[in-house]
Amino acid sequence: MTDDIVLQIFQVLAVLLLAPLLQGFILKAEERVQRSRGPSLFQPYRDLWKLFHKQSIVPESASWIYFTAPIVAFTAMLIVPILIPVLTDRPLPLSDMADMLGGGMVLTLGSFAIMLAGLDSGNVYGGIGSSRTAMLGILAEPILILVLVGISLLAKAMLPFVVNHTLLSRPSAYWSPTHVFLVLAFFALLLVETDRLPIHSSTHIEIYMIDEARILEYSGPLLALLKWASMMKQFILYTIFCNVFLLPWAMAQIGTPLGEVGSVLSLLLKFLLVATAVVVVETVQSRLRFYRYQEPLAAGFLFAVLAIVSSQLI
Amino acid sequence: MFLAHVSSLQASIFSLLAIFSLLLAFVMLGSHWLRNYVYAFAAESWLIAILSAVVGYFGGYPELYVIAVLTALFRGLVLPYLLMRIVQRLNVRREIHAVLQPSASLVVGALLVMFAFVIANHMNFQASTAGQVVVLALTIMLSMKLLGFLMLSVRDEAISQILGLLVLENGIFLGSQILVPGMPMLIEIVILFDLLIVVACFGMLVRFLLVHAGTTSSRQLKRLVG
Amino acid sequence: MAQKLVLVLFLAPFIAVVTSLLFRRSRISEYVTVLAAIIDLAVSVPLLREALRHSSTFWHDYVLVDNLGAWVILCISIVYTLASIYAVGYMRLLDEDPRLPLFYALFSGFAFTMLAACVMNNVGVFWIAIELTTLISTFLVGFEQEAESTEAAWKYIVVVSAGISLALLGTVLFYWGGSYVLGASYAMTWAALRGSAAQIYPPLLTVSFMLVLVGYGTKAGLAPMHTWLPDAHSESPAPVSAMLSGALLNASMLGIARFLGVVQGTSVSRFAHSAVIAFGIFSFVLATLFIVRQTGIKRLMAYSSVEHIGVQALGLGFGGALGVAGALYHMLNHSLNKSLMFFGAGNAMRAYETKEIPMIRHVLRASPVSGTLWLLGAVGIAGAPPFALFLSEFTILRAGIVGRYRWAVILFVIFLIIVFIGFLSHFRSMYFGSADEMPTRKMPWAVWRAIPMWLAFVPLLVFGLWWPRAMWDAFMKIYAGMTGGTP
Repeated sequence: MTDDIVLQIFQVLAVLLLAPLLQGFILKAEERVQRSRGPSLFQPYRDLWKLFHKQSIVPESASWIYFTAPIVAFTAMLIVPILIPVLTDRPLPLSDMADMLGGGMVLTLGSFAIMLAGLDSGNVYGGIGSSRTAMLGILAEPILILVLVGISLLAKAMLPFVVNHTLLSRPSAYWSPTHVFLVLAFFALLLVETDRLPIHSSTHIEIYMIDEARILEYSGPLLALLKWASMMKQFILYTIFCNVFLLPWAMAQIGTPLGEVGSVLSLLLKFLLVATAVVVVETVQSRLRFYRYQEPLAAGFLFAVLAIVSSQLI
Repeated sequence: MFLAHVSSLQASIFSLLAIFSLLLAFVMLGSHWLRNYVYAFAAESWLIAILSAVVGYFGGYPELYVIAVLTALFRGLVLPYLLMRIVQRLNVRREIHAVLQPSASLVVGALLVMFAFVIANHMNFQASTAGQVVVLALTIMLSMKLLGFLMLSVRDEAISQILGLLVLENGIFLGSQILVPGMPMLIEIVILFDLLIVVACFGMLVRFLLVHAGTTSSRQLKRLVG
Repeated sequence: MAQKLVLVLFLAPFIAVVTSLLFRRSRISEYVTVLAAIIDLAVSVPLLREALRHSSTFWHDYVLVDNLGAWVILCISIVYTLASIYAVGYMRLLDEDPRLPLFYALFSGFAFTMLAACVMNNVGVFWIAIELTTLISTFLVGFEQEAESTEAAWKYIVVVSAGISLALLGTVLFYWGGSYVLGASYAMTWAALRGSAAQIYPPLLTVSFMLVLVGYGTKAGLAPMHTWLPDAHSESPAPVSAMLSGALLNASMLGIARFLGVVQGTSVSRFAHSAVIAFGIFSFVLATLFIVRQTGIKRLMAYSSVEHIGVQALGLGFGGALGVAGALYHMLNHSLNKSLMFFGAGNAMRAYETKEIPMIRHVLRASPVSGTLWLLGAVGIAGAPPFALFLSEFTILRAGIVGRYRWAVILFVIFLIIVFIGFLSHFRSMYFGSADEMPTRKMPWAVWRAIPMWLAFVPLLVFGLWWPRAMWDAFMKIYAGMTGGTP
């Protein structure tokens, strides 16, 4: 019993500590693909460290939301790893606090908090960032819900652990059209939620910003919390994508320390694959006009609907 | 009855082929470039030809092999070739979406698929693997039909309308392969050739449209009203 | 015997096509076409008599000669003859002499495919024949190679092809339903379908019938699928319009009638009849509304065709001996009357160089004889006695009252009155309206164009005053064949 609690804490710590590594890898890979050297893999750690030691400058028009939003976001991102299979494929204590839809809701709560933070100080760019986030959310959230519904229909259960087991044990479920469509839909969602092209460009020109615009007013430790929360969100989405949908293998079954470390390594390997795919997709495209964001999202919506229909047909 | 003895493996293969054909119809619906339409149509025809051969193999209908080869040849090669010639002659590269953006038409298409599923469920009276395959075939058939009609109604360009019609016919062909593989071969072959003649006529008409009416976009063809 | 007649029936237009294409001379093609049409007409009467005695199938059951098909063949042959005689006088006015052989080849080919559709026993081949009629008539519609004709031809082929693909879907679904009764592979003849219809799952039967109704209804011109009809019928040359209105719409109604016969006696029958009535009434109402405000002379005629197809659908939908007899009589009368109207409209268009009704005035002054015929034809097509259409519409009305379709009958009567007023008001303004002197041309070859008008008018008057006993018996036999007993 205590082993399980330790495992659960270890799981959350893994998410917390490895999220910046994933971000560093993606940034470096992007640059490498374009034949430049790119920042070091551990640069995000150094950035966070730097930010925690800097002074925090608060705008005069800030309210209590300004201070609580980063904390809410960070905490939400710490809760979600408890619910999903990160390292082990059997449920650990408190993982039945919420099923997949509940996990999705907590994730969205974090994004919602950051969106409020952007609006709070009345800054123009914060407003732009938040409104764009809201619009993307209107298009992307239904897809998330439909994807979760689809995978529940496929596995006939709402817990991600059951889904994982179903996909592992039945190849016919893994290769069914439902699953294929869900993977494609979730990939589109992944690109959107983690702010990769074709949605977002990494240039820091204000007109194009979505993510950075929201956090423009923050500095110091609060900024560090916000950035860390974004990185953890990315990590969590990748985890869900890999462990629940695409590559449900190579997870710790029993809970020995060696098994856990091996599970961490396999997780990193899976992320390597997915992140490479994301980077390739990002590099071959250019940024879409804002009003054309609906196109990849409509395709994702379509895939999710087709997945649900085909789950009834097979 | 063929469908009564279908096993689950066969059912999965049929469903995979059929669903990917439907997906290609959606590709046609959602893309901007006329060339992509034709390529997607060609791929769809090849998938249907493979489905024909698979049905023939599992159901023991050797004549379906002939039909599969003919389908791959005519619908998969000759028709796209003719269509590409028309596209090149048109000097139009992309479709201007005046009525419905591609993303919106994808969403509408998804809703139509759900509608087709409801109707197909209503029409089915068997409950078994056979029943599932029946519902699948009916759904795909009806949804490709509805998608074809969607393409016909919201598209301007002549070539998109031709492709809408061809998607309609493809849908019927797909459904008939799964539901009634025993349909006399004469009918199927004649329908195939009929399609060829239809596209040839369309090609001639498009040329006339260009020469006499000056445009192939149906938004501009507004002389006859009332 | 019937086999030989059918052979001659098809050989005549086929030879006309080949001759027109071989010798590219307009005179030869004209005369060959007229000859082929007259041969067809001469053959179709004994064919009808033969079919009434007993229906026969031959050539591996692919060809069926039954009384319903033979009746439609008669109507088509009549229109073919009249239109080809008129075409001689009309097409020469178009200054298209080098292309005329192609026109006559297409014309006879069009007649060939329509006649073929009437005798097809296999439902799938029937569909193919109807599809072929679309393809050939498209080029006839766009023959004049103007911007409007090409636009009309494009609309025609797109809308109609989309529509009859629905009919193909319905056919496939019928075949699938029948395969549960008759086995996986069987020849899909009308008789086979009728035999298996009672045991097909009713929702499936409903959906299939609705698909077939909408599909062949598009081809027949039932509203709301009629959108191609005003354009195609108004932009094509006058003889082609007559063929389209008088013959092609009848062939499509044949399909609907045959499918109604298939579902007769099943649980879907009542619903099917109501659906046909609904489409019929809707076509009638819609066409009336468009007729009242129309400004183009040929579009006016086209909407009148929609209206009369609606009446035929009403007749078939009301059912019963009266309804079917009325609908079949209406087929014949409408073919005669509509041909007369299109011939007159063609004359007026050539004489006044315009299609607009406000520009056509004092028709009697320009052409006294054919003008009078045209006016009398207009009175007839609006449904007034002593012309034949009145008799057939009255019979259909009686059928509706007997069948207790209250709302349909009330709407029918009200809109009959409206169409009478609206249609004839246009003619009143054309004939008796005051206007300045309109410049008219004296058209040569008027005899060629006047003869078919007389040939159409006289039977119209005769049939309006006297419904031959033999014809009534023939209709009763057809009705018996549709509802019960073996064909």
